[in-house]
Amino acid sequence: MVQVSTPRETSSLPANIFQLDNGLTVIHQQISATPVVVTDVWLKAGAIAEPESWSGMAHFLEHMIFKGSPQVGVGEFDWIIENAGGMANAATSHDYAHFYLTSANTHLEQTLPYLADILLNASIPDEEFIRERDVVLEEIRGSNDDPDWLGLQLLYQTLYETHPYRRSILGEVELLMQHTPDLMRCFHRTHYQPENMTVAIVGGIEQESALSLVHQTFSKFSVRSECPPITIEAEPPLIQKRSQELKLPRIEHARLLMGWIGPSAQNLKQGVGLDLLSVILAGGRCSRLINELREETQLVLDICSNFSLQQDSSVFAISALLETENLLDVEKVICDRLWQLATEPIPQKELARAKRLLINDYIFSTETPGQLASIYGYYNTINCLDQCLSYPTIVEQFSAFELQQIASAYLSPERYASVILKPF
Amino acid sequence: MSLKTKPIQHQIHRVILPNGVILLVVENQAADLVAGRFFLSNAGSIIEKPSQAGISNLVSSVITKGTKNLSALEIAEQVESIGASLGADSSSDYFAFSLKTVAADFPEMLQLLGEIMQYPSFPDSEVELERKIALQTIRSQKEQPFSVAFSQLRQSIYGQHPYGVSVLGTEESVASLTPEDLKQYHQIYFRPDNLIISLSGRITKEQAVDLVTQVFGDWRIPSTTLAVDELPSIDTKPSKEVIVQDTQQSIVMLGYKGTSVTDEAYPVLKLLSTYLGNGLSSRLFVELREKRGLAYDVSAFYPTRLEPAPFVTYMGTAPENTEIAIEGLSKEVERLREIKLSDDELQGAKNKLLGQYALGKQTNGEIAQIYGWYESLGLGVDFDTQFPETISQVTPQMAQEVVNAYLKNPFISIVQPENL
Repeated sequence: MVQVSTPRETSSLPANIFQLDNGLTVIHQQISATPVVVTDVWLKAGAIAEPESWSGMAHFLEHMIFKGSPQVGVGEFDWIIENAGGMANAATSHDYAHFYLTSANTHLEQTLPYLADILLNASIPDEEFIRERDVVLEEIRGSNDDPDWLGLQLLYQTLYETHPYRRSILGEVELLMQHTPDLMRCFHRTHYQPENMTVAIVGGIEQESALSLVHQTFSKFSVRSECPPITIEAEPPLIQKRSQELKLPRIEHARLLMGWIGPSAQNLKQGVGLDLLSVILAGGRCSRLINELREETQLVLDICSNFSLQQDSSVFAISALLETENLLDVEKVICDRLWQLATEPIPQKELARAKRLLINDYIFSTETPGQLASIYGYYNTINCLDQCLSYPTIVEQFSAFELQQIASAYLSPERYASVILKPF
Repeated sequence: MSLKTKPIQHQIHRVILPNGVILLVVENQAADLVAGRFFLSNAGSIIEKPSQAGISNLVSSVITKGTKNLSALEIAEQVESIGASLGADSSSDYFAFSLKTVAADFPEMLQLLGEIMQYPSFPDSEVELERKIALQTIRSQKEQPFSVAFSQLRQSIYGQHPYGVSVLGTEESVASLTPEDLKQYHQIYFRPDNLIISLSGRITKEQAVDLVTQVFGDWRIPSTTLAVDELPSIDTKPSKEVIVQDTQQSIVMLGYKGTSVTDEAYPVLKLLSTYLGNGLSSRLFVELREKRGLAYDVSAFYPTRLEPAPFVTYMGTAPENTEIAIEGLSKEVERLREIKLSDDELQGAKNKLLGQYALGKQTNGEIAQIYGWYESLGLGVDFDTQFPETISQVTPQMAQEVVNAYLKNPFISIVQPENL
């Protein structure tokens, strides 16, 4: 049996959390009904960990991890995993990079050591670095052809003036061209260290085997490096509405995106409150904005609202697809409805409906090992795993009065970021 | 090495009600929910006349917006107040409803769905609203270069065949659709002997049979038979079409006429598509992305269809690499005509395909979908076990023969910026 510190106390958690001697966090949950095991490795090494001139490094490194280590050749990892009927992939955001491996339990002992090795001992070969940069440049070109991606980038840039959340995760082309393999190795050796890493392992594997396997494979981390220090200044609050407009050649309809800065992940309860408000506004055909703007006045083709929890501060966004001539009217209606949320309590029946929708969504999205491993890894990475597990209870306990306060504190109809995309 | 793991086999109960409804049930106590897929066979865009292209899709948008007893808002309130999800969608080969509830709410939602399926009212105002939005959605497709390229390719390959048009239809056809057309569509295709109900989740076979009998048992088979029209043959010739758009990337797409799911070449093409374009170890990914850095998105797909499906390879690349991309994609297919795949390469593709196939049946929604879909295509639920068997029997010889028979001259579709 491996040596681990005592499992952390977690009230309602079906999973167990361990900290290994080297500082690595392991979260395990056994689901005996399935032969599938998902290992999802989360790192606090997203775009916010980049010094400003290193923009795009975290995401580019995620690509380079797949180029192997001294022990694992280029393409070897992909072949080993897929030849064993498994799947692997990765994603990078502002707060994290994560790498996930889906495998049959009978193959995990064979596949997991490869994932661990390329993560811990990435070689980042010079010639591969140049080639893969072309791939990242294609990724940027492709994204620039997607109007919704452009809109979201602009919303974040407008909403944040100083915090690195304003940065594109893919990076700026000019800066990408200046990065070197040495800088990337430095970024890797600084951040891909056990105290920044969470390994979530969920599915048809017993606790003892899972821990022992993770302990064996995630032990030899690289020699530490030190990137230039970064300081993240606190984002000043919005004091007025900030607007941006972008004209695009190929779009058929206009877009309106409105954004507000929400609480940090530490303040999960308020975040859950914003989740509820998001459902009240645009979750389903009965919700206020869909009912009014899509079904009744028919000023929009589609409208949705989304709360996305982030470590330092989260983002509440409303976006609509509409004709250019309706932009002003729609923005005004949305602001009126926000004002209403802050001044009138939500009727009980409507509140009950939103709660039930969220709680059931939680049940519907925690069916598979992959979904669970991802939730555990993500919430632990942004430092709020313990709270996230009581999500349904937090939802259940909200009163109309508390939600009114949250709407009033965060969703100002006067201070927000507004982005408009218009056809040429 | 071939895989030794046996995926879980679900026990599938199949019951036929006296009025012809086919009920499939997989009892799965793991989570507190029931997922259902309700298929109407012989529907979907495959049966649409060109003048009515998009009618299945429009029916799917309007059908949940009114019954003889309930308004659109009342239906939405019933569904959303208990936090269920209920929706309709149409695809190339079928029309289907989805239902997902926590287990205790299932009977109530099934009751509601029964009313929607048997007594929809297609109110004029809702038809008008959803038709307007469908037309806008068709226009929205032009915003995505991939959709533009695929739409052009589909048109070139299929000509007048219904697969030549998107499931959304065309602006002309959708503009002409009336509430009467929708009611007629409902009358023709919505009948108990054309309905397959596939359930998975915390429900026993007995409970399922009781509930479905209560809700759908009285639905009578109409006296008319469901006529299935002959489809136009696909007799197009390979071509190269270019659309100019103000984009940063070119989309290069090569398509070939594949086969129907019932053809013996189907599993071979499925395997070839996996070998070429599925995953990080696929041939196109390794040769064109990993070794040459030409693309971020490079892949292949070959869907499972009742009629011959398209076999497509594609990539997005810098405009100056457009010709290199066409050549790169063509060469990889040509190579398969000239050489036989090694046993290792073929086995790798099999392991990948079968592994992913098993991983595609994890949620209750996925389980309900796959068995109901196979039943509705007329393949039967046993196709779920036959498919992996036929895949495992493909030889390098068979693969080469199928490449030579089907993957010869590609239809080429390009979307690129003008300044080349």
